[in-house]
Amino acid sequence: MAEAHLRLEGVTKRFGGVTAVDDISFEVPRGSFATLLGPSGCGKTTTLRMIAGFYDPDAGDISLSGRRINDLPAHRRGTAMVFQDYALFPHMTVGDNVGYGLRLARRPKSEIERRVKETLAFVGLAGLGERWPNQLSGGQQQRVAVARALIVEPEILLLDEPLSNLDAKLREQLRWELRALQQRLGMTFVYVTHDQVEALSLSDWIAVMNAGKVEQAGVPWEIYYHPRTAFLADFVGAVNLMPAAVVASTGADVEVRFGKRHASVRAPEGAPLSAGQEVRLCVRPESLGIGPGGGDGGGALRLPGTVARRAFLGDLMRYWVIVDGREWIVDQPDPGAAPEFEGDVALILRPERVHLIR
Amino acid sequence: MRSLRREPLLMLALIGVFGLVAAFIVYPQVQVVLTPGAAGYAAFIEGGTWTRPLLNSLELMVLSTTTAVLLGFVYAYAMVYSDMPWKPFFRLVGILPLLSPPFVVAASYLLLFGPRGIVTYGIFGQSPNILGLTGIWAVQTIAFFPFAYQLIADVLSRSDPRLEQAARNLGAGPWSVFRSVTLPLSRPGLGAAILTTAIYVLEDFGNPALIGGIFTVLPTQAYGLISGFGDLTGAAAVSTILLLLALVLYLVKIRLDGGRSFVTISGRASSMPRPPVPPALSRWCFTACLLLAGLILLVYGTLVVSALTAAFPTNLRFTGDNFAYVGAHSLSLRNTLVFGGAAAVISALFALVAGFLVERGTWPGRRLLDFLLILPAAVPGIFFGIGYATAFNQVWLDWLDRGALITLSMIFWNVPVGYQAAVAGLRQIDRTMDEAATSLGASSLRGFRDVLFPMLGGSLRVGFVTTFVRAVTTLSVVIFLFTPPTTVATITIFQLVNDFNWGGATAFTVADVAMAIVVLAVVGFIGGRRGLALGGARG
Amino acid sequence: MVREPRTGRSATEIDRRTFLRLLGVAAATPAVIAACGGGAGAPTAVSSASATTAAAKPTGRISVYSALNESTNNAFVGAFKNATPGVEVDLLPLAAAGELQTRIRTEKNSPKADLFIGGSSEFHDPLGKEGLLEPYQSPNASAIAAEAKEPAGNWTGWYFGVFGFVSNTDRLNKEVGGAKPATWDDLLDPKWKQKLILPDPVKTGGGYIFLATQVFRFDRDEDKAMDFMKKIHANIAQYPGTAPQAISLVSQGQFVGSPNWSHDILTEKAKNPGIDLAVPKSTGFEVGAVSIIKGSKNLPAAKAFVDWVLTKEAGELNVKLSNRLSVRKDVPPAPGAPTLEQVTLVKYDRQWATDNKDRLLKKWQQAVGL
Repeated sequence: MAEAHLRLEGVTKRFGGVTAVDDISFEVPRGSFATLLGPSGCGKTTTLRMIAGFYDPDAGDISLSGRRINDLPAHRRGTAMVFQDYALFPHMTVGDNVGYGLRLARRPKSEIERRVKETLAFVGLAGLGERWPNQLSGGQQQRVAVARALIVEPEILLLDEPLSNLDAKLREQLRWELRALQQRLGMTFVYVTHDQVEALSLSDWIAVMNAGKVEQAGVPWEIYYHPRTAFLADFVGAVNLMPAAVVASTGADVEVRFGKRHASVRAPEGAPLSAGQEVRLCVRPESLGIGPGGGDGGGALRLPGTVARRAFLGDLMRYWVIVDGREWIVDQPDPGAAPEFEGDVALILRPERVHLIR
Repeated sequence: MRSLRREPLLMLALIGVFGLVAAFIVYPQVQVVLTPGAAGYAAFIEGGTWTRPLLNSLELMVLSTTTAVLLGFVYAYAMVYSDMPWKPFFRLVGILPLLSPPFVVAASYLLLFGPRGIVTYGIFGQSPNILGLTGIWAVQTIAFFPFAYQLIADVLSRSDPRLEQAARNLGAGPWSVFRSVTLPLSRPGLGAAILTTAIYVLEDFGNPALIGGIFTVLPTQAYGLISGFGDLTGAAAVSTILLLLALVLYLVKIRLDGGRSFVTISGRASSMPRPPVPPALSRWCFTACLLLAGLILLVYGTLVVSALTAAFPTNLRFTGDNFAYVGAHSLSLRNTLVFGGAAAVISALFALVAGFLVERGTWPGRRLLDFLLILPAAVPGIFFGIGYATAFNQVWLDWLDRGALITLSMIFWNVPVGYQAAVAGLRQIDRTMDEAATSLGASSLRGFRDVLFPMLGGSLRVGFVTTFVRAVTTLSVVIFLFTPPTTVATITIFQLVNDFNWGGATAFTVADVAMAIVVLAVVGFIGGRRGLALGGARG
Repeated sequence: MVREPRTGRSATEIDRRTFLRLLGVAAATPAVIAACGGGAGAPTAVSSASATTAAAKPTGRISVYSALNESTNNAFVGAFKNATPGVEVDLLPLAAAGELQTRIRTEKNSPKADLFIGGSSEFHDPLGKEGLLEPYQSPNASAIAAEAKEPAGNWTGWYFGVFGFVSNTDRLNKEVGGAKPATWDDLLDPKWKQKLILPDPVKTGGGYIFLATQVFRFDRDEDKAMDFMKKIHANIAQYPGTAPQAISLVSQGQFVGSPNWSHDILTEKAKNPGIDLAVPKSTGFEVGAVSIIKGSKNLPAAKAFVDWVLTKEAGELNVKLSNRLSVRKDVPPAPGAPTLEQVTLVKYDRQWATDNKDRLLKKWQQAVGL
């Protein structure tokens, strides 16, 4: 991991009697796209605003490049921010909006003009500098907001749900643009969202927050496939969580019993599990397979079940299958190329795709 | 607060505002409050002559505030939402009642609507007894609706059409949109309007003095104690009661709108038009505004006719002689222009800065500053003047120019409306606007200057107009401060009225009002050209 | 105050003789006039300049707070400057003695004026008691009756204002039978019902003087006075908030009549001949005063001003300009104004009236149920 660019240590923020952010600590490596993910009210925006300097933490330290910035006023932190509502200045043209930060820095007029032009072109808005914000579409406004923040070459760019006000298609397009932009600039982005797809697709690093605490932080793959808690597993995507009990724990592998069945799966990180301990199997729907009833599973477990319902989602077919009285979700990729299943089926569970949650 | 410590300039601005408020609002008022002394208060309370005026004041406050705010709301709604024609005309008429120099305008009402009034008796043959509660109520409604109109229009014009459009799309009818969206969103303006109007009604002297008859309210009692009996002690005690009432009103207001969000300007720009109001409603608005305008113009027209006749209404011979007084007293007109103009500019700017510090601040004690900035509205002009005369008439302050002192008194006496407008305006602008500027490297004050200030053109305008208009029409504040070279128009009017020179007084009043209208028109023109959002005026 | 009941006349009225005595003139003979005018040994009172007694000629500027009418001020100051070359006058005009009194009080830490002129002595007297006035016994005041000047010289009276009654002639003739009141009791007649107005006693000095006058008229029998006020209340449609406003309303014909200051009535009458003045018997009055403010930076000139105000020339000028009565017997009243022979004044005890103000007003409010 690269050097920590942004570091939070024991940061706490209370509003009145409510603890919005509760003793959180994390590090964001330089040049990474870091995302704070969580449901609304989890404290992610509050955390971002503390980084920006809009809120003072009640406890803890925030440092940027190893320098503590708690006592630095917001406008000296070099933490430009892109807001959910864009916060474009309605009384300034697009060009004036974008050039505002440079004017504050007292750059020469010619330089401001040139860089505004460049930056607008960079975000795909060449030639729109004379427009007023209310003459732009939502997506264009969002690009202006990003351009306005980028142009000051901030040490770190903070983005507060910048895409949440856009329609799905535009959102996806801008998502890739943002990611490409970040990689081109090599700049550290801290991104706040409640949308797990957005978080997973954009980020180098994700911290999932819940009730003012960081539940888990790590690379998207880790978060998605090896969530540490049930909340996390559920929050970052569709998941099957099945109660199970540890039968035996042998170092790297654990034998678990769920319903009438046994499986040997990989042990989770942390302290070894002991026999008899209650755990949960965590399997993503796309890690399961579905096939006709009966037959042999090979290396995988075949669990006989019944299709309760199914939904065609375009890129995949989702089945809800009842096995031993419990409902499992199974995704079948490329549904056009596969038969549609009804009635009795077999659920194909490969033990190596199973993650255990304590 | 940490944020203040980090921004020394912000701290300095705050200390500056507090210092000015302490020096020019608190200190002079403390002088007045302390005047009676314990014995004076005891004697005053025991005397009991204040109970009736207190009850009268409260009754009048409830009645006049209700109708003035209602009328102001209708007017503001008509101006901002409806498609009625003649809006520029109504805009002017909407501030005319504020241009009411002492005695003369109220006297005009009596000429028209008194027991032998030109309208009441001359046309309808009726002899109504309008002196008293009914009369003041009616006149105050018209005199104070402009405050409510300006504050509410400023807020309404800044509200986001998308919210209303959204409500319409959800199937709400116009009335339902009004009730469920427009009305709640205008709450900051409504709250400010109610508080301001209530306090100004409480403080009003001119109308009750002329129309009130035996219906004595606290300010007229206080005035009477001074002008009739030279009883400063009793008068100061009455003033203290008024201050306490203002405090109560303020606390009620805090309770009513505490903690709610009224943000209507988020950072997302929109060019969506307001949903159209039904044509019938526009017509109704037009009719209502026209009736009101007709009444107001009748009152002011009477003044013009009076100024142009030998002895209205008994001798209607046309003459221009009365305007000779205008030439003879041009110094007082010029002083009014200079003091009022300077006071209006400074007061409006000060109100905006103070509003910013209070509304956007998180420091302790901002409630106190908030209250102190509303307080002057509750101080009858005469006590504001007495406070200044007492506080600043010191040997070591003899270098202080009287004109400057008069200007200062006008600045701080009139700060409340501009301040209320600024706070109401700021409450509508999402904080992310300030934060966006801050995150780009602007200090709080710089962000205020670059981002908030241009969006608060309407609030600035409310502050300027109110201060200027009140400065141009105040007699009581100046009466203890003016000197022969710093005399003002209202003093001249007062002198002419007391000399039974109705023609001269009306001629001078017409000149004073005309001058004020010209100034307001010029300022409106400049403001319009600079692209300031003239909220209260925007149709 | 000791009252000496006399036969055939109410003890509380001051007849012409008493009034003249009050002026310090035993009989209206020219010799006495001369004697009183030239108090400092000047041969005649007619010559104003010689009446000033300063050894050195006063010079410099004086600042005057004037409660006189606007139309009086300029001519009055001009005449003074003619009579006293070398003295410049900054005149602050404010026809509101109570406000000027308050101003002087608030300015006590750094007085801005040398003189306070106009307004009844009630407004000067408390300032003297508070030590804000510079006592000065003008030689020209020696002939003025003791009641019209402050013993220590804090203020000196120089005119009388008499409370009278204004009526709208047209409406008086049509609705009330044309008879102006000869006594205040005449106003109790039901024919006046809802046709009278009276300056509010709570808010105006004039209204209170009317109330106090009734108390003195009934030998300080307050119950009788309140009974009178209660009865007249039935006829009163309104109590306007300022005294001049009451005259304006009658002048406009909004109401038929109002007790008010006779000099103000005459001033309005000059503009609107449709009103008229009457002075009912046993009326109240005010003593218009002039005083020097303590801290005056130009005492010689200030004294010269007071001396001049007390001259016959100034008295005549004031009568001409403001229709008030001069304290000097040798100054005739304004045309249309009641001569001294025509008015009877109540024995008005200013101090008592001031001291009992709150109590009387409260009593009055209860009596009339307001």
